[in-house]
Amino acid sequence: MTVTESARAVIIGGGVNGTGIAYHLAKRGYTDVVVLEKGYLGCGASGRNGGGIRQQFSTKENIILAMESTRMFEKLPDELDTEIEFEQGGYLVLAFTDEEVEQFKKNVKLQNDLGLKSSFISAEEAREIVPELNISKVLAGTFNSTDGTIYPFPVIYGYARAARGMGVDIREHTTVTDIVTQGRTIRAVKTDRGTIETDTVVNAAGGWSAGIARMAGVELPNRPYRHEIMVTEPFKRFLEPMVISFQHGIYFSQSRHGNVVGGIGNPHEEQGINQRSSLWFMRTMAKTLTELVPRFSAVNMIRQWAGLYDTTPDAQPILGEVPEVERFFQVNGFSGHGFMVSPVVDKVTAELILGETPSMNIDGLSVTRFKGMDLEMEYSVVG
Amino acid sequence: MSEKRIREHPVLDFQRKDGFFFDFEGKQVLAYPGETIASALYAQGLQRFTESKLLKRPRGFFCAIGKCSSCIMRVNGVPHVRTCITPAREGMKVERHGAMPEFPDTTLPCPKVKEENIEVAVIGGGPAGLSAAIVAAENGADVHLFDENTNLGGQLVKQTHQFFGRYEEHAGTRGTDIGKDLAKRAEEAGVNIHTNSTVLGYYHKNKIAVDAGNRLEIYGCEGIVYATGAVENFLAFENNDLPGIYGAGGVQTLMNEYGVIPGDRVLMVGAGNVGLIVSYQLLQAGVDVVEVVEAMPTIGGYQVHASKLRRAGVPISTGHTVKKALGNEQVEGAVLHELDENWEPVTGTERTVECDIICIAVGLKPDNHFLRLAGCKMKYVRELGGMVPLRTETLETSVEGLFVAGDSAGIEEATVAILEGELTGAAVTEKIKGGSEKLLAVKKRARAGIEEMRKGPYGQRPLEGVRACTFEGVCPE
Repeated sequence: MTVTESARAVIIGGGVNGTGIAYHLAKRGYTDVVVLEKGYLGCGASGRNGGGIRQQFSTKENIILAMESTRMFEKLPDELDTEIEFEQGGYLVLAFTDEEVEQFKKNVKLQNDLGLKSSFISAEEAREIVPELNISKVLAGTFNSTDGTIYPFPVIYGYARAARGMGVDIREHTTVTDIVTQGRTIRAVKTDRGTIETDTVVNAAGGWSAGIARMAGVELPNRPYRHEIMVTEPFKRFLEPMVISFQHGIYFSQSRHGNVVGGIGNPHEEQGINQRSSLWFMRTMAKTLTELVPRFSAVNMIRQWAGLYDTTPDAQPILGEVPEVERFFQVNGFSGHGFMVSPVVDKVTAELILGETPSMNIDGLSVTRFKGMDLEMEYSVVG
Repeated sequence: MSEKRIREHPVLDFQRKDGFFFDFEGKQVLAYPGETIASALYAQGLQRFTESKLLKRPRGFFCAIGKCSSCIMRVNGVPHVRTCITPAREGMKVERHGAMPEFPDTTLPCPKVKEENIEVAVIGGGPAGLSAAIVAAENGADVHLFDENTNLGGQLVKQTHQFFGRYEEHAGTRGTDIGKDLAKRAEEAGVNIHTNSTVLGYYHKNKIAVDAGNRLEIYGCEGIVYATGAVENFLAFENNDLPGIYGAGGVQTLMNEYGVIPGDRVLMVGAGNVGLIVSYQLLQAGVDVVEVVEAMPTIGGYQVHASKLRRAGVPISTGHTVKKALGNEQVEGAVLHELDENWEPVTGTERTVECDIICIAVGLKPDNHFLRLAGCKMKYVRELGGMVPLRTETLETSVEGLFVAGDSAGIEEATVAILEGELTGAAVTEKIKGGSEKLLAVKKRARAGIEEMRKGPYGQRPLEGVRACTFEGVCPE
């Protein structure tokens, strides 16, 4: 049976951004919204990531986005009446090359100028923060104590519960098959369970975003890349911060439940939608983690899994409308740091949909930046 | 702590020679070759193996076959060791660490890595896996069989009763002997046997990683037969986590494989075949079975097993279940109550029984993690006990080259597991090395046998289940 219905807006993707935008819209009284998710809520990158909340970035836009987002995450448990397990144990970023040392000094300067109290520290100071660390090859590091980790699922389900409570229609196991346009106007979204007439669509489909955009005749430069992650057996709290190294592409932290969660990026990963677990990851993660903290050699990895980074040429997100189609809002291309900036992104996107002047200027993150301009790269990408 | 090792048994002969000692929290504990750390500790009377994470409630072992992690301890400085499948060794240092141990202060050497391409990997050395390995090896395939236990035979090694089923599949023979016979035949057929080897995972495409103790082994396989069996179901009731509440399979392992009695007075929950048979085996080991309770209105298992118990004076109460377990550190008794036709408790029927063990025999579910990791198309089939892989007529999954035999594909019994093993052994060999008259004959015979088994009174349920998850040609979405 094909059912035709209508909605003021259709949000594609039931991850942190899809549910978060629905929540912000509903809070403003804009509740005639349908969220479409082809699996279950959080089954994409939102539910597969390491939960890192970091403000130590290298570009002004990302630092500001992340700082404001962190403040919003701090208030979220009260707002959603849910426990999100936000542990602000800091982020310890390790430098292994002279280039990294130079870049980190610049980063900290910029971060400090913007009001973030990060600091540039020596290898010995890094070991004071994490005594188990092997610092024989560490040159220096940076640390910011208000960074931390979150358990992603309660955030997603908290948004969804609140949005549903205000009347938003969130549908799982519903796959978008087409976006119908007429000229520059959106007419409808087709799914495997019927058609929804609308003039407003939000593309928050993570690794599937470029494919969704193509349905509306819009070409996005973001491409999906698999990134893998694992969890160890649980231990009494021993690791306060998230530890990361851009050089190794590794990150790891200890969750509130005691398990260490971490991942490492494969520089040779091929583009494509692939969420299989690899042997390369299992071996490389075990080896690198053990090099950085030798005592991990007596610890078992108990699970590994994979998710998709939706990666753009400058590793920065794509936000706002596109030139080709009206009211087709992009919320994608987060390149591995989408969850941590989602609070601001979701609020601002809701403001754009409502036709308001956004509370933070995100013009610089429009897809139009890729047309013949010099890009400002975000260097602080990990995993 | 009182010694719980069985000295005399009507069926089994526990030969204990060359005893040795290991250190448990500063005390010297006696163990014999072939015993695991957990069985040796239990023989000394240890009940509290670990504790729960938040409330620190005591936890005993539950499954005794490495599936439930209720027995994890620190061994020689390494935390989270499954003591129920780790052999006891002279001089080793064992201590409890609860659910959240300290981060280890030991470092271990980087394991050596061995990589090899093989023809057939069989995962699981129970009736299905051994049967598959024998057929494949006898028909010229290079076969490697992996099992995380020290002994082959899977759950057969603890089944002291004589089997029913068909003559060719060992009807009238005791499970323990079938297990030994299959293991011997596998060895004779030239199967490369890897015991104490845990298969860690499936990797694309048909690669497996194996933890062989101090070595990581990686095998690229032309075909895989997965046959790891099942895990026990649990039951929800108040205090159900007390030490002394164990799976029937766990009790059987402890008693029949390691020769250690679980306690003195057992309440059996479940009157299916497992519940009835294990009750009888408890009696054989000199343990008192105070009562068998069954929530269903009728006894699920064979009448012949039920009659044996009745003759021994064990009451079987249908329409009854456990309301709660009594005790603080370990089981001291249980409160039972009657259920009405809607499974609701009947008020005023509560009564207390004294026991130190509550044995849970409420069914099994397929052990399928590996299959899900491999991306096999799965389906929930109630008649088969849970999530099972979709399979072709020759038991190949939606992942080409990956076959499944036995309980991992749906709960039936050991005879069907053996036959499914033979069928997959023939099918995987045919796929890799091409067909032959002999393989065709094995397939035909196995399929006929399975069909016949499912014609029986207990075959109807699995037959319906299997129909729901068999596909032809391209696997449906």
